[in-house]
Amino acid sequence: MRLLIVDDSNMIRTRISRVVQSGGLKDIAVVGLAKNGLEAVRIARVARPDVVTMDLTMPEMDGIECIAALLKLDATVNILVVSALSDKSTAIAALKMGARGFVAKPFTDEELQIALLEVSEPR
Amino acid sequence: MANLNEADLRLFVDSIKNYLRVTTRQEPHITSAFLGTGDIQGFEFNGIVTFSGDYNGQVIVSMPPRLLRELLLLQHETDMSDGNLLDAVGEIANTLAGNARKTLGNGLDISVPVKIQGATGVKSRVRKHPFVITLRWNHHEAMVCVDIERKH
Repeated sequence: MRLLIVDDSNMIRTRISRVVQSGGLKDIAVVGLAKNGLEAVRIARVARPDVVTMDLTMPEMDGIECIAALLKLDATVNILVVSALSDKSTAIAALKMGARGFVAKPFTDEELQIALLEVSEPR
Repeated sequence: MANLNEADLRLFVDSIKNYLRVTTRQEPHITSAFLGTGDIQGFEFNGIVTFSGDYNGQVIVSMPPRLLRELLLLQHETDMSDGNLLDAVGEIANTLAGNARKTLGNGLDISVPVKIQGATGVKSRVRKHPFVITLRWNHHEAMVCVDIERKH
């Protein structure tokens, strides 16, 4: 599995990357880090991720727009939203857009690992 | 314009406690929560998220560098540059603001965080009577300043 991490915070990008690399998720390899939606689309065109962790509040292009753009590029990509916008309506909106899972910030390493495993499972 | 009541603002106390408990497994001690005056002394690193939509205002997370370094260390981060400390404090402000939608509703829109270095970063931004939460985490003092009002 090829993972693209999208978040405007370096702290979160590094943390997700570490959780993946040290958390027993051996089948997942980080293939890109993006700090906004536009960068994510650019990287996805080349890196062709299978899984994407997606922040929602970002400059340039936000997460909701980016989900649409990534799914247009590859309808099979599995998107896990990782956002501080933890209200129900935001989660539902993201899932309606085509995301497969939602993790609210702040999150524990275990919560992220479980969610990544769930969205990586074949449909 | 209507000010939020104590119960509405309590969510920010719970939110910063939850943030530090979840990310560091160490809950902070809330040392005070009060209606401040404009004369508020912050810390060197400040993350600011602006509210819009049904609300006006902002939340400011103000922290000293030592606290932020320890927080990053606990997450196995090795980059302790000022830029990364600002990134961390901005992300905390973003999380508190985003989590507030759970209670205040999705009519609360939030900006991407603005990050400011310098202890005067809070004083110059808040209006007359913001809600101030002071806390101690791992022997370090910090502050969350909530300056928010409902539009209708």
